[in-house]
Amino acid sequence: MENNNSPTRKVIKYSFSYLLAVLFIFPIIWMLFASLKPSGFHVASIIEWFLPPYSIVNYFDVIDRAPVIRWMFNSLVVATSVTFLVIIFDSLAAFALSVIDFKYKNVVFVLFTVGLMVPTEANVVALFDIVNKLGLLNTYPGLIFPRVAIPLGIIILKEFFDAIPRDLIDSARIDGCGLFRIYFSIFMPLSKAAIASIGIFTFIQAWNSFLWPFIAIMTKEMFTLPVGVPTFTDAYTPDYSIPMTVNMIASTPAIVAFLLFQKQIIKGIKMTGIKG
Amino acid sequence: MDTYRKLVKKYNFLKALPFILPFTIVYLIFLIFPIFRGLWISLHRWTMVRKMDFVGLDNYLYMIKDPAFWESLGNTLLFVVLSTPAIVITGLVFALICNQKIKGQLFLKISFFLPYVLSVAVVSSIMVYLFQPHSGLLNSVLQNFGVDQTIYWLGQDALAWFVIVFATLWWTVGFNMILYLAALQDIPESFYEAAKVDGATKFQELWHITLPLLKPITWVITLLQIIFSFKIFAQVWLITGGGPGTATRPIVQYIYETSFKENSLGYGASMAFTFFIVLVAVSVFQIYFRRRKEG
Repeated sequence: MENNNSPTRKVIKYSFSYLLAVLFIFPIIWMLFASLKPSGFHVASIIEWFLPPYSIVNYFDVIDRAPVIRWMFNSLVVATSVTFLVIIFDSLAAFALSVIDFKYKNVVFVLFTVGLMVPTEANVVALFDIVNKLGLLNTYPGLIFPRVAIPLGIIILKEFFDAIPRDLIDSARIDGCGLFRIYFSIFMPLSKAAIASIGIFTFIQAWNSFLWPFIAIMTKEMFTLPVGVPTFTDAYTPDYSIPMTVNMIASTPAIVAFLLFQKQIIKGIKMTGIKG
Repeated sequence: MDTYRKLVKKYNFLKALPFILPFTIVYLIFLIFPIFRGLWISLHRWTMVRKMDFVGLDNYLYMIKDPAFWESLGNTLLFVVLSTPAIVITGLVFALICNQKIKGQLFLKISFFLPYVLSVAVVSSIMVYLFQPHSGLLNSVLQNFGVDQTIYWLGQDALAWFVIVFATLWWTVGFNMILYLAALQDIPESFYEAAKVDGATKFQELWHITLPLLKPITWVITLLQIIFSFKIFAQVWLITGGGPGTATRPIVQYIYETSFKENSLGYGASMAFTFFIVLVAVSVFQIYFRRRKEG
């Protein structure tokens, strides 16, 4: 019988796993090093990509020349507002669906569940028309509200709220707490983990969303990062330094946030199981 | 008693209103109403500047005879067929790698997942430079291995599809890996211990214990992947622009170009509505399937 822990086996296991992982993030490492090459630097061989000279002058260049910081600010405003509104609106609605026994409750729940099947991709023409008529094209609210309308958070939070013991509500009631108090002082604190996961997940999705901002934004000043970044990518120039710097600037916040919150993000994915 | 309960419920509805109203308003305006508005627009000829011209089902009749519609729908289907098995299986393999008894698991997990947090714009940009014909990283590597010829990755249909599928896999496979990892961690250790007692090899453990137990989650992941792949647009738009020619143009891109570049919003809306029906059908199938699996 072969030994599962033989040294050769271990070497193969480790080298294969690590090699694959390193190869997989290699393009990201390349992006970092390419952004550090002086603009116009001719790279003769692969290894030269990764050797000095390094320079961070591209970063200043890009920030000077293009409104990248403005785009980042736009993305931040949109993603933060979406996250904030999703957390408030979804938790309120989920609370009503979980705790209050009201007329048409089932109708409302089914209506929200149906919305999970509606993709923005198949709705863009009419959404454009409606947002235009509301005068919201090329504005922050025009980017924010279509994302807030996705009911996923309600469905997940309702399940969480359903698991909170009903005794807590009864005793709070006896103490004279109103519904808002119960929502705010009992349900929200008890669901912190779930809300954090939904929040982080919503933020990433909003931060990276492309199609709708691409259609709804008309001016360069209102670009979000994903819409602005491609204006630098040009397949026909051999100078990679500037576009790769833009890529790095656009990615760093997401990468840092991921490394900080990777546990919650991974939990969030397990909970939602939905792709953007 | 019954009338009393009805009264309470009616009263409760007023109490529930402030909780459900904020979301419901946004939901109705920005998600539900657009469906009906889209259907209405699809029955008109409309260029945004002029008035809407009611044309009945003309747009749909035109669509059925429009070869570009069928080509782009076919391209989307081709992408679903190419990408789904590749991304689901790679996700499983990565999850199995991360689930080994190995030091530095966290490093492996983070590496495989990291591209997922990048914006599609960044992913596409990296891919464009990776596959650039003259100074791209991949062609330089190939040259070092003695490949003399310059490969135009985005110049040929098959290669362009390869790049798009590869880009999507690189970008999103971490998501499937996480779902698989969660399922793997749910398998009780005792199953494997029992197998070890019986003298099973690693491969037998994988084949007879792990894979059969992963069947339900594989269905879920596959169906999620199918829906995600159906909606493909951004990667193609940013990497090949739909080219060479229109060989990789997906349906979402054709809808976008028809509606916003050629200003035929009526025709764009009719294709969008058709696409919506297709996606709902896939989702309904998924829900039905999940129910049957669970029940």
